Amino acid sequence: MPDEISFNDLIASSIHDMKNSLNVQVSALEKIAVQCRDRGDAPMYDELGRVIYQSSRMSLNLVELLSLYKLGKAIYPVDMDEYAVSDVIDEALMQSRFMMEFKGITVTTDCTPDCYWYMDRDLVKGVLVNALNNAYHYTADAIHLSARLHNRWLELRVEDNGPGYPDHMLETGILGSERTVNFATGSTGLGFYFSAQVAQLHKNGKKRGTLSIENGGTLGGGCFLLMLP
Amino acid sequence: MTLSLRQANILIIDDFQGMRTMLREFLKSMGVTAIDTASNGKDALHQLSITRFDIVICDYNLGPGANGQQVLEEAKIKNYVGVSTVWVMVTAEKTPEMVMGAAEVRPDDYLLKPINQSLLEARLEKLIARKQSLAPIEASVKALNYAEAIAQCDHQLKAKAINPQEILRVKSDLLLAMGDYVGATALFESVLATRDVPWALTGMGKVYFHDKKYAEAKEVFQRVLRENEVYMEASDWLAKTCAIMGQHEEAQKVLLDAVKLSPNSPTRQKFLGDTAYKNGSLEVAQAAFEKTIRIGEFSPHKTPAAYTALAKVFSDQGSPIDALKTLQQSKKEFRYNTEAAIQTAAAEGVVYQKLGQADKAEAAMQEAERLIEKAAGKLGAEVAIDVADSLFKLGRKEKASGLLQEVVRNNHENAELSKSIEALFEDHGMEAEGQALIAESRGEVVTINNQGVTLAKHGDLLGGANLLRTAAEKLPHNEVILINLCGLLIGMLSKEGKSHQVASEVRELLDRVRQINPANKNYHIYTAALNRIMNGPGG
Repeated sequence: MPDEISFNDLIASSIHDMKNSLNVQVSALEKIAVQCRDRGDAPMYDELGRVIYQSSRMSLNLVELLSLYKLGKAIYPVDMDEYAVSDVIDEALMQSRFMMEFKGITVTTDCTPDCYWYMDRDLVKGVLVNALNNAYHYTADAIHLSARLHNRWLELRVEDNGPGYPDHMLETGILGSERTVNFATGSTGLGFYFSAQVAQLHKNGKKRGTLSIENGGTLGGGCFLLMLP
Repeated sequence: MTLSLRQANILIIDDFQGMRTMLREFLKSMGVTAIDTASNGKDALHQLSITRFDIVICDYNLGPGANGQQVLEEAKIKNYVGVSTVWVMVTAEKTPEMVMGAAEVRPDDYLLKPINQSLLEARLEKLIARKQSLAPIEASVKALNYAEAIAQCDHQLKAKAINPQEILRVKSDLLLAMGDYVGATALFESVLATRDVPWALTGMGKVYFHDKKYAEAKEVFQRVLRENEVYMEASDWLAKTCAIMGQHEEAQKVLLDAVKLSPNSPTRQKFLGDTAYKNGSLEVAQAAFEKTIRIGEFSPHKTPAAYTALAKVFSDQGSPIDALKTLQQSKKEFRYNTEAAIQTAAAEGVVYQKLGQADKAEAAMQEAERLIEKAAGKLGAEVAIDVADSLFKLGRKEKASGLLQEVVRNNHENAELSKSIEALFEDHGMEAEGQALIAESRGEVVTINNQGVTLAKHGDLLGGANLLRTAAEKLPHNEVILINLCGLLIGMLSKEGKSHQVASEVRELLDRVRQINPANKNYHIYTAALNRIMNGPGG
């Protein structure tokens, strides 16, 4: 008798498949958008930009869902190793470059090349891309991504110059806000939940990674803060 | 020489035309001109055999036939890719096997799909830089000059290398390989002072294992696995530790868990099969050996031992026809391999005996024994033990004991081998004989060795050397005797002046030591000493 396939596994493999299709779609759309821009078709370019943003969001959500599913079943191959933090930041930026260019957002970074830290590269990159996506949504026109070592912790900050997080979110904290599912704004809390799980997964002795939000920072808007021990 | 990405000679291996075209376009846009493609493992290996590529971009999933990992392993073993080749594995999702420490041979990096041009370019640039920092170290390792490799690691660490952890890890492997357990311990402890890094913890476990502190080793490996379930290296060592502690049931459980996470290592599957067979779990053993053969097919780990082991399982299960079929298969697969022919013939003898065909059993055994004579002294220890098992089963106790005696004499300091030989005697109800044989054979060698060394210490270098010379003739594969003889001869050279005859004897001995164990600590020291004396003044 063949092994029974559980509904969860079916969902997982479907998500995997959807994610792949979406990625093909996004890269094709990006190509078309560039062609539009080059021949001066601004309205079409704008339209495509919005479609690409939505598709990227969807793709990101699927990746997060899949990772969470695997983490939940303890089948995610957590791959802790030492990486140059600047490389991880660069790769996260590459993934959102088109969108940032589209909306004319200036992205600056601050990370020394000799900053190394121990992490699962793909998961942390996912958290950064998610934070960049959030910042993209709320910023006026600038995002600052920085990393530094502080008291044997790695501090990763994604800051913007938008209006900042609303008071109720700052009060309840990042995981409190996950409960405020709002389909109108597209806020399901998935991104924060995923990021918090990734933070938790990073351990050193008794210390565990944390995730927090605040307002202010170098750009005066919202700050997303991931601390890894 | 520094290589730039644009000058690189690149091979793309992917079964999908679309992917090959996309990757080629990406590379062309980066300014790369030397690009070749292959659509399957066989084609890839053919191209790798005729062209030296700087970079290989290989999809993990290549459809039917070998997967990317197997292509990489074969290319490494056959030396188609050098130490400076960058190998990037492209994959749709990470599996436990791709995680740090899971596979013996790893690509330089994994790239998760989807791939875009800027990501690929950034990774390739980084990998080229990393390769260049590792190149001198790897070249020394390849030349078996471990001491020099360690010196290069230290140099890089001082010069703030771009990948300090990786270099520390390489250094720790070198220290272990050279038998510098004190140095390795210090390195592991310094890394562990800031963080429980699994490779360093596992390394501590290896040191405990070497010091025969098995309980401590076990505890450490378990601790690694509690934190990192997929850390295969720790789980392999845990199984190995359980086995040497005689806890075979537990070893089997550990291995079963490991193959669930990472089923495609032939060595692990073979270990599981052997352990399960020991425990009498014939079904588990059968499945494991079948899997060993299946995944070994395209792998350099392909070994006749898996076939004879599977044949034994079939024979024990009362399926002699399947057993003979398996051995027939082995003969076909390893046509030109004498060791394989010996193993297969001996196993055939056992099967025929079970079938009640005494004449055929006798013929097979005679063939095995004829080949053993022919291969005199050149039989690998594992093969000898396997063949001895067959000989015991057919009542040829003396022949079996003789073979095992050879193994002990040539490896008198190898605790693991002694353990498996002891277990073999036990299996055949000859526990006492086994222990006596091991103790006696080991004693003989230890005595001769000690006598030789004592004579030398009292100033009679020639007397000591002559004693060890006689011993080395009888025990051409005993690493300890050979290296000690080198030591005495070098002592003679430095005391009595240059002699080209003695020097060439030492060179030959050193060469033999290197073949037995390239990591022999004294090999490097004596090689340097010999060169110093022979290139120095006088004579």
